[in-house]
Amino acid sequence: MSDVNPIVAPSAPSGELWRIVASMTATCAIGAAILGGIYIGTERYAEEARVRGERRAVSELLGLDEGARVLEVRQFLTPARDAVVYQRPAEVGAPGRELVFSLDGTMLHDGALAGTAAEADAVREFHSLGRLFIAMREGAPAGFVAEGESRGYKNRIRFFVAMSADWKIAGVRVVEHEEDPGLGAEIATSWFQGQYVGRELAAVPRLDVTRDPMPEDWRGALRARPGAAAGDWASRFGTVASREAEKPIYAVTGATISSRALTDGVRATILHFRRRWELIGPRLLVPDTREAAK
Amino acid sequence: MSQPILLRERPPGARQLLMNGIFGENPVFRLALSLCPAVAVTTTVANGIMLGVAVLLVQVLSSVTVALTRRAIHPRVRIPVYTIIIAVWVSAIDMVLAGFFPSLYAQVGLYVKLIVAFAIIISRLEVFASRMPLIPTFWDGLGMGLGFLFALIVIGVFRELLGSGAILGYAVVPEKPLLFFALPAGGFFSIGLLMAFFNVLERRRNGGKASAGGGGGHGHG
Amino acid sequence: MVDRRRSRSRSVARWIALLAGVVLFMVALAATAVAAPPADGGFIQGARILVPDHLRLQLAGPAPALDPANFRLTDSRAPDVPIDIREVVAEPGNKVLLTVGERLDPSAAYRIEIREPAGARDVRPAPWALLLTVVLSSALINNFVFTRYLGLCIFFGVSKKRDTAVGMGITFSLVMILSAMLSWALFSLVMVPLQIRFLQVLVFIGVVAFLVQALDTILKKTHRSLHQKWGVYLMLITTNCIILAVPLLNAAADSGPAESFALALGSGIGFALALFLMSCAREKLELARVPVAFQGLPIAFTLAGLFALAFMGFSGLSFLR
Repeated sequence: MSDVNPIVAPSAPSGELWRIVASMTATCAIGAAILGGIYIGTERYAEEARVRGERRAVSELLGLDEGARVLEVRQFLTPARDAVVYQRPAEVGAPGRELVFSLDGTMLHDGALAGTAAEADAVREFHSLGRLFIAMREGAPAGFVAEGESRGYKNRIRFFVAMSADWKIAGVRVVEHEEDPGLGAEIATSWFQGQYVGRELAAVPRLDVTRDPMPEDWRGALRARPGAAAGDWASRFGTVASREAEKPIYAVTGATISSRALTDGVRATILHFRRRWELIGPRLLVPDTREAAK
Repeated sequence: MSQPILLRERPPGARQLLMNGIFGENPVFRLALSLCPAVAVTTTVANGIMLGVAVLLVQVLSSVTVALTRRAIHPRVRIPVYTIIIAVWVSAIDMVLAGFFPSLYAQVGLYVKLIVAFAIIISRLEVFASRMPLIPTFWDGLGMGLGFLFALIVIGVFRELLGSGAILGYAVVPEKPLLFFALPAGGFFSIGLLMAFFNVLERRRNGGKASAGGGGGHGHG
Repeated sequence: MVDRRRSRSRSVARWIALLAGVVLFMVALAATAVAAPPADGGFIQGARILVPDHLRLQLAGPAPALDPANFRLTDSRAPDVPIDIREVVAEPGNKVLLTVGERLDPSAAYRIEIREPAGARDVRPAPWALLLTVVLSSALINNFVFTRYLGLCIFFGVSKKRDTAVGMGITFSLVMILSAMLSWALFSLVMVPLQIRFLQVLVFIGVVAFLVQALDTILKKTHRSLHQKWGVYLMLITTNCIILAVPLLNAAADSGPAESFALALGSGIGFALALFLMSCAREKLELARVPVAFQGLPIAFTLAGLFALAFMGFSGLSFLR
């Protein structure tokens, strides 16, 4: 490419200068107007697509079927960092609910949430701690999904962690990341995420990552899992799975930082969720049993 | 084919422009423009195709816009105006991708935004779109975009095959032969090798007359 | 003769200016570290994480009751979730060693509180360590050229001679820092409150174009000869991917001013370093016998690949672990 001419010649007479300024301003204005229009047109769809993607991830993780419904709980930290607010949005047939706890676990408030704009404004300044999704079947929790976030190699990694009702990890799904394809992006694959499945809650606080290479039979088992039926997979790979159940997570070759970021995030999310569920679980579930009993 | 297309006497026809964009003046292998994405995105063929298509769209749309409005653009501010036109189209495509193709967008988001700074597009606007009428500009933009897409696919196949043993995610060989090629360093090597390869092809076609492809004469000091 | 002396003294002046800028930055960092000590030390004078699961506290007086219930350790992101403390052991010199039930992350922020006697302290890496990590990361570990493959067009075009490489490196660093800070200001103070984030591409490239044009005009008026020598680099900066990538990264991460500055500085240093190394190697390459097919860019790419390989060695570098 030959030398690009200077952007603007040095000494333009002032009338010309005004014409230049005018045409630049006009171009910028037109450009901004076009973009504004497209933004208004597409923003809704971008938002819907995001929500749809999340709902799908949550349903898959929870193994939802027709008998279950999903409770969503939004968690916030007040700007003064002195209380945690849990909100269950209102849905058809059930009013919303708001629980506020102090940092040491004392309940400060338990009330209804109407879903007004004023309430939405009130939490705008709050720091979001992620959302919880609880699958309910016949009035009892059948599984949990907690949203988490951690700092990856490039930017942040957003993920969902699913726990079964007996507090084993049911799955991990990365929903947003900017890691390198072929390297860090491998943490978003089902075979990598399959390593977390089945781990007990007691093993979570010490969950770690190792750079050792993954044994080939375990790799084969993990790759085969998504397509196979659960019982079929267990009978074929049962021994391998139990051998690997207590081992640390094998990092992706060449992407230790991304693997570690996801593992640290999963660990923190589960531990935080466990503690918070001790506080809000009993309270959130009581009205449901009453409803189910009706 | 070794002579830049604008130096010929007649305004070039559609087929000539297309072939020029893909082979004669291939933006990556011959003009050495927009190398950043060529290295970055080509770890897999799928990513290369997605970005290549995005660049194709931006190139064609920007070229056509400039060709239509070239008389209204003040020559002294043409570079900023071209940049704004490109930025508008890039942002538009970015938003449309985010809205209607979210899974695609999740993978190439940052690089789509960077299309604004791609030398290939702005240089094509400066060299061709601002001087030629609408129809040839359209074909030139299409040719350049296709050339870029072609280059990305070639590099992507090379790297994905050698680095991950797969193409488009389908395993061709059971293991990862040389993971190195999926890494950034491997990207540089791949392009160097492929450029040399295309140079050899070009020399064979010209019967031994080296045309110093790959930007031998192109450089700023 | 006079010209050479003048231009040499000017280039020395430029190096000194750059050095002064770096020193000033370090001083500013140190000042922030000193001016903002972790909250109310009081009884707890120091805290240090020992991986994987220990925390050592330096106290102002003899150790209090060594009961885990007397201590409360929380992650700053989850102040309502106390971390399980397994054991508390006193150590000589008014130190106390806590053993916790989970892995602690030295690069994260925690808060330790003691009930009796009352004391609290934030446990987090020093601000200077964090910012230095960003600078080092963007200069070496995630070098924009060799690891993130940005800025390649300019990189290969300008790295043929050492002088031009140095010139471009310095010019780029200065423009990068100015444009990143201006972009950050516009983004955080204007675009986010007004909810017009979607215009970021337009605004950032506008900032760069404006800045380049302004610098070009100023330089032409004040230092004509400087402009003749360095002016062409300014124009090339507009098409450098890095100049747009840094504001975009800062916007995506919602970085503060210090982090934006650190990223811009690091990327400038990294780019200048890459250019300098490449130009040294390419000057040597001029004298070597390169096969015809490889002459020009192909061999330059291969060279870049070797440098990228070398830079991969930095990937374990960190101040925080």
